[in-house]
Amino acid sequence: MSFLKINNATKSYGSTKVLHNIDIDVQEGEFLVLVGPSGCGKSTLLNMIAGLEDITSGTIAIKGQTMNGVHPSKRNIAMVFQSYALYPNMTVGQNITFGLEMHGVAKPAREKAMSDVAEMLQIKPLLGRKPGQLSGGQRQRVAMGRALVRDPDVFLFDEPLSNLDAKLRVDMRTEIKKLHQKLGTTIVYVTHDQIEAMTLSTRIAVMNGGYVQQLGTPKEIYDNPANLFVASFMGSPSMNLVPAKVVANGDGIFAQLPTGLSDQVNLKFSNPTEALKGFDQKEIVLGIRPEAITDPEGADRKANHIEQITNRVIVTEPAGSDTYVMSSLGGKDCNARMRADAQVVAGQDVPFAINMDKAIPFDPSSEMRIA
Amino acid sequence: MSVASTDNAISTGRITRAFIYLMLILFATFYLLPFGIMVLNSVKPLSEITGGNMMSLPQVFTLEPWFKAWNSAQIGVEPTGLKPYFWNSLKMVFPAVTISTVLGALNGYVLTKWRFKGDTILFGLMLFACFIPFQIVLIPMARVLGFLGIAGSTPGLVLVHVVYGLGFTTLYFRNYYQVFPTELIRAAQIDGAGFFRIFWRIMLPSSGPIIVVSVIWQFTNIWNDFLFGASFADLDSQPMTVALNNLVSSSTGVKEYNVHFAGAILAALPTLLVYIVAGRYFVRGLMAGSVKG
Repeated sequence: MSFLKINNATKSYGSTKVLHNIDIDVQEGEFLVLVGPSGCGKSTLLNMIAGLEDITSGTIAIKGQTMNGVHPSKRNIAMVFQSYALYPNMTVGQNITFGLEMHGVAKPAREKAMSDVAEMLQIKPLLGRKPGQLSGGQRQRVAMGRALVRDPDVFLFDEPLSNLDAKLRVDMRTEIKKLHQKLGTTIVYVTHDQIEAMTLSTRIAVMNGGYVQQLGTPKEIYDNPANLFVASFMGSPSMNLVPAKVVANGDGIFAQLPTGLSDQVNLKFSNPTEALKGFDQKEIVLGIRPEAITDPEGADRKANHIEQITNRVIVTEPAGSDTYVMSSLGGKDCNARMRADAQVVAGQDVPFAINMDKAIPFDPSSEMRIA
Repeated sequence: MSVASTDNAISTGRITRAFIYLMLILFATFYLLPFGIMVLNSVKPLSEITGGNMMSLPQVFTLEPWFKAWNSAQIGVEPTGLKPYFWNSLKMVFPAVTISTVLGALNGYVLTKWRFKGDTILFGLMLFACFIPFQIVLIPMARVLGFLGIAGSTPGLVLVHVVYGLGFTTLYFRNYYQVFPTELIRAAQIDGAGFFRIFWRIMLPSSGPIIVVSVIWQFTNIWNDFLFGASFADLDSQPMTVALNNLVSSSTGVKEYNVHFAGAILAALPTLLVYIVAGRYFVRGLMAGSVKG
């Protein structure tokens, strides 16, 4: 049985449905990230797990017990908020132990739990201070300490890193991941940052418009996006989505599309599915990640099939570790990731290597992956 | 908490600055003059005042008028001085200020953090309380007090002032709590704190500035109130303001102006004290919430 079970949960405000039939099972020790653009319902879902918002229909169960209507404090969950929500009038120590005090834990036990947590998060010197005297990163730690001290069944994180500056965010991200590996707790984490989602999670639920668009491991989500939304939302720079025509002949199945030099190229699919054959002579959207389009020397040697084409460079963007090269493919701007020292100049015609193992066809009408 | 900073003051030249100070001193003097004259005349024997030297410094310094105003001046029919009425006022002001402030805080808390259907309409209706003139509530209030059996008593006056002040205190706290982060309440809920626990442990300790505003406002209004005191109080519950009126406007005997002045200052002293002690929080509290810190 799953540890946290969200079964057919919906949420409506009056007649407006904001969450549609959500089904997610989380196993013990899993790190589930809910990711999506703002307004997709991910925070609402988290609040429903926490009990801060009621469930319109369906059930949410933790450890086999239905939590509908159960008060937040009785669910044995802990939550870290985006604004940290530290009580401004209490010291760090009091902030951490407030929950224990409310649950009637005796003072010696509280002190012990507090010092253990403070030790783990290295916030011992801060215990006597007020939240107003702490930096953003320190507040973040205290907020996590307050959650940890309760030893809950499920941790809920609501965009906990979005108030930190870029560098600190990366540090804290690593720290949260370490903490999860060390404690093996079950975590549900909400973010709009797809890199956070990819790096932290054991599984990702990509949400949009109140629906779970895809639920899977980071690799599944990245390599096999279920639809155009997931394909374009996950990954940075985002996946190239170019219109193409399917052409099947004796040699295989090809995607036919014009290059920036306005000649047609035929890109052969490595592993065409039966469904794709049904799209012969029809329009599709071809999704290729920037890292699957490289200079020929930088191409993946383990790829089954690499197509080489010549195309005109529109713009180059040296990013230090890589150089991004923009060209036109299928009438759209197409981003390629080349080695940092690849010799390309805007306006030149250069060879591009396309790893067709990684090319994903989408049905333009249903926006679903053709599989 | 620090003293108001001068960082964002507009820098000015010396002549402008001198001009500003001159104007400030001028206006300060203008406003302080009546109070100065009251103090001067309250420490003079009556003969000096009736002799026509109202504006001059006292030739003979005496605190006799103060003692008389406090202890033995004729108020109405009894020569009790203002002392018993001062206590009456205190007995009325403290519960009235405390209750109206606490209820206002609770109202503000509920109206912002425990929203319910129609809460904005309810708040709008409560706002009306701030615009209702005293006179309009006189007769309904008399009926209510009579019905409750507390007419002509201090508890009756407390009720009147609590009811009348609730609109203001609710407005203050509601606006203050409006910008109070709701995530804090949610965190406390998850931590297991209930409605009142959150109020006492989280909300109230963070409400210092607005409590000061509410207390000053309520204290000043209730202490200075004359109409309700004159309308709803009996002889043994009359507040200071009514007694002062009886002292000053009694038509028998000699008009002891020096005693009147001393009495008037005595009546004004508590509000003055509250402003001096808590005044610097007043403006800060009024500003709080209006500007993002």
